[in-house]
Amino acid sequence: MTADTHVAWGASTSVLQVAAIALGGLVLVGLMRRVRARLEGRVGPPILQPLLDVRKLFRKERLRPDQASWIFPFAPVVLIATVAVAAGIAPLITVRPALGTGADLFVLVYLLLSGSTLLALAGMDAGTAFGGMGSSRAVTIGALAEPALLVTILALSMSAHSSNLPEIVRSTLAAPGTVVSPARLFALASLLVVIVAESGRLPVDNPSTHLELTMIHEAMILEYAGPDLALVTVGEAMRMALLLCVFVNLLAPWGIATSMTPLAALVGLVSLGAKVALVGVVMAGAEVFMAKLRLFRLPELLAGAFVLALLGVVSGTVLS
Amino acid sequence: MTSSVYASTLGLSAALVLLCAVVTLWRRSLGAIVKVLAVQGAALACVALAIGFHEHDVGLEVIAVLVLGAKGVVVPTLITRVVRHDPTSRESQPLVNVPASLVAAGALVFLSFAATRSVTALEPTTAGRLIPFGVAAMLVGFFALATRRKAVSQIVGLLLVDNGVALVAFLATAGVPVIVELGASLDVLLAVVVLRVLATQMRAHVGSLDLDQLAELHD
Amino acid sequence: MLVAILAIPLACALLSGLVPWRPWIGWAGTVSLAGVLGCGIALASGVLHARAASGLDGVLRADALSAFMVIVIGVIGVLAACQGVRYLDAEITAGRCTRRHASLYAVLVQGFVTTMLLAVLAANLGVLWVAVEATTVVTTFLVGHRGARTSLEASWKYIVICSVGIALAFLGTVLVYLTALHAPGHGFHALDWTSLVAQSRHLDPGVMRLAFALLVLGYGTKVGLAPMHSWLPDAHSQAPAPVSALMSGVLLTVAFYAILRFKVIADGALGPLFPRTLLVIVSLLSLGIAASLLLSQRDYKRMLAYHSVEHMGLIALGAAAGSTLAIAAVLLHILGHGIAKGVLFLASGEILLVEGTSEIEHVPALLSRRPILGGIFAFGLVALLGFPPFSLFVSELNMLRAEFQVGLGWAAAASLVCMAVIFAAVMSHGRHLLLGPKGTAAPDITPALVAVPLVGGLLLCAFIGVSAWPLGPLLHAAAKVVSP
Repeated sequence: MTADTHVAWGASTSVLQVAAIALGGLVLVGLMRRVRARLEGRVGPPILQPLLDVRKLFRKERLRPDQASWIFPFAPVVLIATVAVAAGIAPLITVRPALGTGADLFVLVYLLLSGSTLLALAGMDAGTAFGGMGSSRAVTIGALAEPALLVTILALSMSAHSSNLPEIVRSTLAAPGTVVSPARLFALASLLVVIVAESGRLPVDNPSTHLELTMIHEAMILEYAGPDLALVTVGEAMRMALLLCVFVNLLAPWGIATSMTPLAALVGLVSLGAKVALVGVVMAGAEVFMAKLRLFRLPELLAGAFVLALLGVVSGTVLS
Repeated sequence: MTSSVYASTLGLSAALVLLCAVVTLWRRSLGAIVKVLAVQGAALACVALAIGFHEHDVGLEVIAVLVLGAKGVVVPTLITRVVRHDPTSRESQPLVNVPASLVAAGALVFLSFAATRSVTALEPTTAGRLIPFGVAAMLVGFFALATRRKAVSQIVGLLLVDNGVALVAFLATAGVPVIVELGASLDVLLAVVVLRVLATQMRAHVGSLDLDQLAELHD
Repeated sequence: MLVAILAIPLACALLSGLVPWRPWIGWAGTVSLAGVLGCGIALASGVLHARAASGLDGVLRADALSAFMVIVIGVIGVLAACQGVRYLDAEITAGRCTRRHASLYAVLVQGFVTTMLLAVLAANLGVLWVAVEATTVVTTFLVGHRGARTSLEASWKYIVICSVGIALAFLGTVLVYLTALHAPGHGFHALDWTSLVAQSRHLDPGVMRLAFALLVLGYGTKVGLAPMHSWLPDAHSQAPAPVSALMSGVLLTVAFYAILRFKVIADGALGPLFPRTLLVIVSLLSLGIAASLLLSQRDYKRMLAYHSVEHMGLIALGAAAGSTLAIAAVLLHILGHGIAKGVLFLASGEILLVEGTSEIEHVPALLSRRPILGGIFAFGLVALLGFPPFSLFVSELNMLRAEFQVGLGWAAAASLVCMAVIFAAVMSHGRHLLLGPKGTAAPDITPALVAVPLVGGLLLCAFIGVSAWPLGPLLHAAAKVVSP
């Protein structure tokens, strides 16, 4: 196979991945809301409601606070851009996306974090009390989640002897036994806690709350409106979807395209969608039975994730 | 049982024993902690069963069933009764707060791996390499004992220590001789019964199961 | 023979459990323990001629060391059982104790003695562990027998700390078993003490080092050695006097017997340096802690309990020296300390009974008010502080000699400093307790039932201090068992 086909395949699948994450993310949010509503005995909004919301927001007038600096409009764009790049290079549908050699776990994580950081800055930029409060809480959670995340990456990269994500996925496909090794399971459990914290789901943050005192993420983006808000919404949905996709591909990569044929890409897309939808439904179902943790209990949760990751590293070292 | 299935069953069960120990530090509700203890007992039985199958050791399989009965069912049931009668069944104020406890647990895990190097070097089998998990579970139990001030948490800490040692015994030597194993299990069971009676007396005398209420003896 | 030794107290326990409480059941307990003592003496003369006795299909085994320990258990058991009758009598009369409680007490004491005997007679180190753990379970209720809030606290602390310690010892035992499985030519009896000693040169030193450290820490908890000694003063001060006497006089040394057995294996696998260093560290730590805490004691039972920590430290230091002379002295010290401490605890139980308090300052001028009881207490203290003619003088002197011989002179000197501090502390407390102005009331005469066994114990302690007969050969043979 020539280098050209590699490039063409990589480029086309990467575009496909970004599009799938963008659309799929919004659908996933709708799906989770719907499942939750059903379990709570409500009918709930249609699954495609987030898409319609975003379309509506894009048509609205652009409104920004007077005192806001350049950071305020800049943040949503950066958020979308970083998530899109991450979605392009991560092994979601195929194990050979464009620039796959750059899809290191560290790169991926810090691409996503840079978007979040800018959003936190933007929350303070508007100069309102709620924005500042939301930003400070979000940054606190981020700071607590980061050690856990770093150690998790270390644990995940041990079995493949590489922190390159396509490499890890390939080694898992080659040796399926590593999935049920204690190291991998500890690391994935830790990763799940971190994903929940980073994407602002229960029990860390309640995505559907508008009660000021408990808001974290909603408080941070309170000043956004119109097309800016649409960008933030899409970016957040994409980020959650991307994190979950990475999670399921680390947990059960089967179905992902290893050969470079359109059929394999289609199988990869469908299986990924199915797996993520399943995880999303389970998460939404679990959220019904959860209450939001009080803010000062969050360190306990994230310290738990940290210890889990540490256990993963230790058992990986010894049992490898 | 193929060797890879054996290795992953054993690895997962041993890791679950340690995980349960860490989770007891994390949860505050005593009822939940006792449930975790039951899971740990079951995981321990799983380890014994896997080794028994692998080594074609019928005695060990029988012991595995006994362990499941004793540590997975009987002991947790005994403790649950105590918890049910406790008006404040939460570990609300441990001497070391939960995040710090969890970080300490991480440190203890490292310590156990460092301390058992000589043991894993002597027994470099699939089972032998898991010995640090048992030692770590034991150390976490110690930590729980030293920092938790509820009667029930202390009983649980004691059992964590005991389960950790039992795990090491299974992994290192495929169980000590049967007579010792039976005697040891009986002793543990009796110790739990004694502790339960003491807890009942404590509630009658003190009105709660808070060990801070019982601090008259000192120098 | 070995089965009989276990069967006598076990049968007595069953009897006390099945028959409703009568005062003669208390005496039956004394008779049973006297029987144990008799069997122990017979066993000792037996093993001095033949090398070792075994029973119950090889589960039980007795050499000179086991026989010696059976005698120690028997002697202090008889002393404690005599006083036990008096204790139960007084408690029932005062209405603090029902007949059912009295039966429970009798059953548990006999069970307690049975488990200790099993520990010293076990051939298998795993069975030894099971027996030592069983002593904890059995004695917990005895510690809390008075049913007060403080005794509840003491028994909780006791069972939790000792169970944890003993779990460490189990881990150590498992590791020893692991090394034994890897040694060449192991048989079915991989935890059998004799085969372990024979194999000890082939045991893996790395694992053995960890195992011995765990064993010293674990069994050391039951011995009352620092740093896991904190249960001891509480349990020994809260338990009824006869139980305190048994626990302080025998149980501690039964746990130390386990360390002695393992030390031989560790010596073989590691050479003498590591076990010696470890034992020196724990013993000096125990001596230091006992010295610093004895100074500030206000309670005479706690004072005696801390004094036990000191003596266990001395015994550990003697064992660290490890020569035959040292071990013989250690064993003599085990017996002498057992008798003297037993007598003192029993006397303190009587003081508590008649005075109603265990605070030193509330019990002044004992010698003039209660001359017999005060005299017994005074002589007990004199014995315990190591004055001649009592046997503790001989054993301490020989332990020090042995320590200087093997180059542990610095540790012996440090122990002497601690002993001097303890001496001063105990003398000062004893002066408060015993001396003082004579009151107006006529001196109180202690009943003969109480006084005779205690005086007898003190005389025995003095007798073995001045005469090498009849214990000399047994001590030598027992010391040979666990020294190179």
